[in-house]
Amino acid sequence: MKVAAVAIVALAILIAIIPIFSDCESQGRTLTLENGRQVSMKCHWTARAELALGVPLLAVGGLLAFSRRKETRRNLGIMGAVLGAVVILMPTALIGVCVNPDMPCVGIMKPALILLGVLMVAINLAVVVRSLGQEDEAA
Amino acid sequence: MISLQNVSKTYSVRGDSSVLAVRNLTMQVEKGEFVIITGRSGSGKTTLLSLVAGLTWPTSGQVLLDGIEVWRLADKEQSLLRNKKIGFVFQFPSLLPTLTSVENVLLPTMFGDKVKGDRSRDRAVMLLEQVGLNDKLRSYPRQLSGGQQQRVVIARALMNEPQLLLADEPTSDLDELTEHEIMALFRNIHALTGVTVLLVTHSNDLAGYGTRLIRMAGGAITDLDD
Amino acid sequence: MHVIRLAIRNAAGNSFRSWMVFFCAALMAGFVISATLVIRGADDSLRLALERLGADIIVIPEGHERRLESALLMGIPVHCWMPDIIVDEVAALPGVVAVSPQIYLSTLRGAICCSLPELFLIAYDPATDFTIRPWLELNLDAGLALGETVGGSFVYVPAGEDKLLVYGYELDLKANLEPTGTGLDQSLFFTLETAYDIARLSDEYAVKVMDIPPRTVSSVLVKVGRDADVHQVAQLIEAEIPGVTPLETNKLFKDQREQILSLLHSVVALLVITWLLAMALIAVVFSLAVNERRRQMGVMRALGARRGTVLQSVLIEAWLLALSGGLAGIGVSTLAISLFQRAIIAVMNVPFLFPPPLRLAGLSFGALAMALSGVTLAVLVPAVRISLQDPAMSMRE
Repeated sequence: MKVAAVAIVALAILIAIIPIFSDCESQGRTLTLENGRQVSMKCHWTARAELALGVPLLAVGGLLAFSRRKETRRNLGIMGAVLGAVVILMPTALIGVCVNPDMPCVGIMKPALILLGVLMVAINLAVVVRSLGQEDEAA
Repeated sequence: MISLQNVSKTYSVRGDSSVLAVRNLTMQVEKGEFVIITGRSGSGKTTLLSLVAGLTWPTSGQVLLDGIEVWRLADKEQSLLRNKKIGFVFQFPSLLPTLTSVENVLLPTMFGDKVKGDRSRDRAVMLLEQVGLNDKLRSYPRQLSGGQQQRVVIARALMNEPQLLLADEPTSDLDELTEHEIMALFRNIHALTGVTVLLVTHSNDLAGYGTRLIRMAGGAITDLDD
Repeated sequence: MHVIRLAIRNAAGNSFRSWMVFFCAALMAGFVISATLVIRGADDSLRLALERLGADIIVIPEGHERRLESALLMGIPVHCWMPDIIVDEVAALPGVVAVSPQIYLSTLRGAICCSLPELFLIAYDPATDFTIRPWLELNLDAGLALGETVGGSFVYVPAGEDKLLVYGYELDLKANLEPTGTGLDQSLFFTLETAYDIARLSDEYAVKVMDIPPRTVSSVLVKVGRDADVHQVAQLIEAEIPGVTPLETNKLFKDQREQILSLLHSVVALLVITWLLAMALIAVVFSLAVNERRRQMGVMRALGARRGTVLQSVLIEAWLLALSGGLAGIGVSTLAISLFQRAIIAVMNVPFLFPPPLRLAGLSFGALAMALSGVTLAVLVPAVRISLQDPAMSMRE
């Protein structure tokens, strides 16, 4: 369980941090309107949303490391899996990324988030499955 | 049933030095006997049990179990013979920590050639009930006390209905009360099943549980008491 | 009770040790599949690109060989011109059965008159073409008409628009081609007629005029007769027509091939080191595990387990961990490579094509089998040693 907790914490940090450095704005690309104003593109808001998802996932990992009751571990696992799924949905369905396949958000940020999200879901599902067949840990 | 003729056993310890564990020992054990072997640590009691079971070979002399030299058999026959004929109770915690009580009791069926299935499981449950652990069937060894663990080991030793029960200091880690409970259990099993028991202990107080007492010192028998 | 169940319980019993073996197996299998996917993917991509070219020889103006390769491979546009008389000169040479001219152009960067920046544009002559139409017709029933275009797999019409703008000219994107993993994926194909139309109207519609010098072409694609030797025809072209270079397509992408080869060498070296380290770690971990369980093994032998059964229980435990770790490693690596295809092409500077499902399954099976054999090799020594140990000795402290 400790290994899973450490993995979740590490993934949560990556989910929060990677988009900050791989969205188009961080690479100096913004959308310039006809009046000359520069506005952020979709991927920037996806990056913000992922930062917001990383924090509760960090908490899931942290709490899992110290939880001894199997019900708690199971519930944390379910929460982590759901949040992991949202990590995938942000760049693919809910907000999205830029259309141009040459943009850094398409080449790096989106695949990285999908990969991290899949790993997050898989590890949390493993936590749920293990917690079903386990007794409470001794204090 | 058991016959040892001038048996000696020398262990080599880290290369050059060697230890003479059993020295020129001769003894007979008849079917249905409950033999208690006492002696201080290092008197060769454990080695004697290993020799009888064919778990190690004698440096000289002859060890026969029902007229067979067990250690001379091929691995397959030797293992099958141990599995069918001999039940073991060890001095150290010998339950597999990753298995429950029932699974530990079922372990010997895994290595035999008998048909396994529900009947084995029923027998395992019955044996655990007999040793008073009907409420600990699904418990893991770490959830059991020392006495309870040793009861599971006894149930495991009886699983394949052995003809010979070898017990190596089965009560050494237990308090006095539990020690007598376990010894009473051995006596009951012996009385009920008629199994031949060879029980090693360093405690002279337990001599009364057997039908015969053998005292050992320095790898040899010092006293035979019928 | 069965040996497999015992092995599962043993594996689950010590999670740290099991995780170590799991990760090592995942690393071993993951590394093999990643390396194979990238190198095979690059190789397949090159082969497919060559197939699409379809010509035996490409004649281009002298000095543009490298740039044409990067255009075809990485989609970096090339501009080169030579007199169109060369088309007829090449056609007249012995051994040549078909010739077709092409014009290479590109869209402008950062101009609102072009939907997509720096797109490689290939204009072909439908009257003589023998290279593009065969695979164009796989996607379209008829050839392309004026104002129609077909794009590589990465070409798209920007959101909110229904036409593709090239020099202010509205092109109708009829279809996207299957990915090749090369620069062809970022190319746009249309007829010479369309190209001249774009150039004519660019004066009016675009911020910059699209310049096609009169009576010029960018390249001539050559098909050689069955009984003629490609190399000899190429030598003949070089000797007879000054100022041009004949590129034999089967010798194209030499640099890229060498790059893939050197990539292969360094990957193999890295692979061997990783595998040796992982196997050593597994061997140590299992030696510790087996040592710790010496008594347990002794007990099993006393209860009637054969030497083979003890060996089996250790090997099955290792196989279970290797199998689960290997599958996880293959799954994660494959997913990562399929997701990061674009980044791989950009960073490694090689073309890349993800294999079809059946091939992928085959490669995964191979990687898994390799990981299983590696783990078996690593645990064999401790497993055999413990199974051969005298049970009475195993049970002593």
